[in-house]
Amino acid sequence: MNRAQLSPDLQNLRASLPDLLGTLQANPDWYVSIYLEKKSGLNFSANLRQTQISDSFSTGVVLRVYDGYSLFEQASDQLDRASLQREAERLVKRVRDSKPDAAAQKRPYSAPTWQERLSMELDPEIRSQIPANVQAKTPVHFGIAFEKDPREISTETRIAHLKSLLSRAQELAPQAGLENGELSFVLVRDTVSTEESIFVDGESNLSQSLIRIARTVVLMSGSERSAERIGGMGGEEGIELTDAKLLSMLKELKGVKNALPLAPGRYPVILGPTLSGVLAHEAFGHSQEGDTCARGRSMAWDLFHSGEKVGNEHATILNNPAIYKNGEEKIAAWGSYFFDEEGWISQKQVLLDQGVLRSPMTNLTSALRLGVPRSANGKRESWAHGVYTRQTNTYFSAGTKTLDDLMAMMGDGYIALHPAGGMEDPKGMGIQVGIQFLEEVKNGKRTGRVFKGPSGGHLQMTGYVPDVLASIVDKSKIEADSKTPDAVEHPFNDAGGCGKYHKEIVHAGCGGPYMYMRDVLLG
Amino acid sequence: MNWEISDLKAKLKSQTEILGWVLNEENTHRFERYFMKDQKAFATDQDREVRAQTLDLRIFVDNGKPGRQGEITKRLHRGAPLDIQLSSAIAAAQQTDHQRWTLPTEIPSSLPERKSFDPSMVEDLKGTLDRVTEQVTAQAMKQRSTPFHSSELFLSVHERELHLSSGLTHRSKNTRAYLEAAFSFSDGKRADEYLSTTWSVDADGLGIEQLFDECSERAKLTLDTEKPLAGDYWVLLDSDVLTSIFSQTLPQLSGRMEYLSLPHKKKGDSFIPDARGDLLTIRLDPTLDYAAGTTTLSDEGLLQRPMDLVKNNQVVETSLDHQHASHLGRYATTSNGTWVIETGSKSRDELIASQDQVLEILQFSGLFVDLNTATFSSEIRLATLHDRKTGKKRTIKGGSMSGSLFENFKEAYLSNQAVKKMFVDYGSAHGYYGPDYALISQVSVAS
Repeated sequence: MNRAQLSPDLQNLRASLPDLLGTLQANPDWYVSIYLEKKSGLNFSANLRQTQISDSFSTGVVLRVYDGYSLFEQASDQLDRASLQREAERLVKRVRDSKPDAAAQKRPYSAPTWQERLSMELDPEIRSQIPANVQAKTPVHFGIAFEKDPREISTETRIAHLKSLLSRAQELAPQAGLENGELSFVLVRDTVSTEESIFVDGESNLSQSLIRIARTVVLMSGSERSAERIGGMGGEEGIELTDAKLLSMLKELKGVKNALPLAPGRYPVILGPTLSGVLAHEAFGHSQEGDTCARGRSMAWDLFHSGEKVGNEHATILNNPAIYKNGEEKIAAWGSYFFDEEGWISQKQVLLDQGVLRSPMTNLTSALRLGVPRSANGKRESWAHGVYTRQTNTYFSAGTKTLDDLMAMMGDGYIALHPAGGMEDPKGMGIQVGIQFLEEVKNGKRTGRVFKGPSGGHLQMTGYVPDVLASIVDKSKIEADSKTPDAVEHPFNDAGGCGKYHKEIVHAGCGGPYMYMRDVLLG
Repeated sequence: MNWEISDLKAKLKSQTEILGWVLNEENTHRFERYFMKDQKAFATDQDREVRAQTLDLRIFVDNGKPGRQGEITKRLHRGAPLDIQLSSAIAAAQQTDHQRWTLPTEIPSSLPERKSFDPSMVEDLKGTLDRVTEQVTAQAMKQRSTPFHSSELFLSVHERELHLSSGLTHRSKNTRAYLEAAFSFSDGKRADEYLSTTWSVDADGLGIEQLFDECSERAKLTLDTEKPLAGDYWVLLDSDVLTSIFSQTLPQLSGRMEYLSLPHKKKGDSFIPDARGDLLTIRLDPTLDYAAGTTTLSDEGLLQRPMDLVKNNQVVETSLDHQHASHLGRYATTSNGTWVIETGSKSRDELIASQDQVLEILQFSGLFVDLNTATFSSEIRLATLHDRKTGKKRTIKGGSMSGSLFENFKEAYLSNQAVKKMFVDYGSAHGYYGPDYALISQVSVAS
């Protein structure tokens, strides 16, 4: 197994950062830190008309001062020493010129030492990369593990492979019942990016190199669509696309073309892993984001204190940026990393334990405002954006049943596998989970009939979160097709994205087991 | 290791494999402030300043295939050697395969001035930030019947330079302002909130007092609500929803969709089949003052002019950039601008009074619009059910609504007041100038 190494240019930059800390530390009461990020990626795509490539690059530094009242950041992509020094001086002046509200409460902060960090429960993938006798100034590097480096595959080879997948989709179309010409649009896209970051404060000097890889397939017939994105953090081995998968997508497309409109109402439904993850993400993912709690915008904070139950015994939701083997896949989950963008090391966290809320996820300022422990959830869209409390991989804990068991328990109902967005309502506790289409189940077996929304579009599952979480009947194992005990530790988390207050788009994984739910309101 | 644009242009001109190029340089200066109520204090949780520079190069190369060419879009890094970046881009582009086309050779001789930025933000961004911060602080601290929770304020200036292989160089500026506010309401046992957000080209366009007032008033409505009865409704949509629906479905009027065999409308089609009620007239206008789509030139160097796309529900033109016009064997039209929808004849109150029951959407939870099927759906976050017979108004929360542009706008009625709206989605700004309300028919509500 290989591990991603830090780029040489970042190694050079890293050496200059401790000096800048000295400039930022103009007041001994301040907590100062530096976050440096470099993202470079290639996007290869092929459709029936053309093949194309885009090559993206972004690098920038965020100089940070927390004065006990506010977090001040100065962000720039000018990384030469003189520019960094100038930006540091600008930031110091800005902080000195600021005047907190006279009624504001001061909440000082000091960074944890390595001794404190190592006393926490850490995943072996993390612990094994921390040098023995680590000290505040010891450079500590974390690299994602991979078998086959996707960055070493030539452009020619990758484009040829994408074109072969296009051809294969067309060849397999008749097997799915699609006639000649019915497959009107096919797109196959590979994205390979390297995401590196450095975090330095008075107690630590961290770096990480991650490889994000994804393969997207879109099949269309007229306005109907079947789409899939597979991927995660690691090597090329994470995006293998088999003929069986392509054929399954083509059959879905054929099904969607003949879909019937569902009459609005309440139905028994089995949510697939991705959709159970979207439910987790929207239900007590967003409302358990510490900054939303600190702003007084989440009911979860009140319910955490009251201890009131908001779900049944199956309602256990976790957030975990430390999933380095995603379900049965060969690579790490999409929302994983080793430390967040404020230097906090990744750990698994239970957000909802059998219907009872636990402490929220946090970034630095929300942890201080709420007086709760920090977690590794300080994330931003890029170095040019602000840091918020954000989810990483959010999922329900696994159950004990197989998928066949759940379908037999349900008898008649629907199975929903493909998401179409979602939306939270942390204060009002409403929820919206978008579903592309439903497959009918009769007598515990799939009938092959497909249903879409009442207007021919996506369906929306809505409701009051505590009611929805009280309606979980049972959950599957992680390896839902096998009766033997799960051999893997974490449920599968799909590759997704997440917005905060309608903007600030970040990568997020969401997943879990299959979940059988009764009385699901669909429209 | 830094190099200049002139070095890059010289290199591009000297490479014989390169058939053409488009270079976009953008300098961004942005301030962000996150405010919140911290017990009795009005606290600044975060205060940020950002300076960024991007350089995006698109090159077209000979890939050795007749009638075809290669292409790549690459973000260049000024800290890395130019030769290596350029040679790797050319080599990668040569592996790709596109129908051949060339950039327009004619350079517009005189370019009109268009109001695409707020001069006060360009001249003094920090001063504007402090001025707007004072206004936001005053509104947040104002005594109201519902408590203020948090607010975010972003102001940015974007200065761009477009360089084309045809010899054209064009400088332009944009400004962006974002404001949000959240208020809650509690009766001691239950609590709910309302979040208002707005984007604008100019700081004064944020409408700070109106946004805070509306947010506070709507927060007060959130507890005295009931669920809707399931069924089909006449639904009144506001301009925020119309902006979202139109900006995400009108790309069906673009030649790019036609070229890729994606769902599209063609010249001569009925935009909405069997439409009655107010027939839609739609224009793409890049000339409006302080609107999201205001621009002078496309990235291909073509002067952008106002253009009618749909007249009384008939598609009269499609939006075609030069590339896709070349592929389809047609002339390029306008490809950038603000979507302009012609207003109708009735006021909001007249639209509500026109039916026995009207469900007026105040806010959706998350409106998802599908470009391909032109369908949309969302949970209802807050709505008012107007009943003409009883004269009563009930506040609605919950349930979901699903609709279709091509079905539920068949019988639609548009209000007689036009408003300008902007929203930014995944970094792209969308503009709308049209009726402040539309009444649409037979919309399915689940509850």
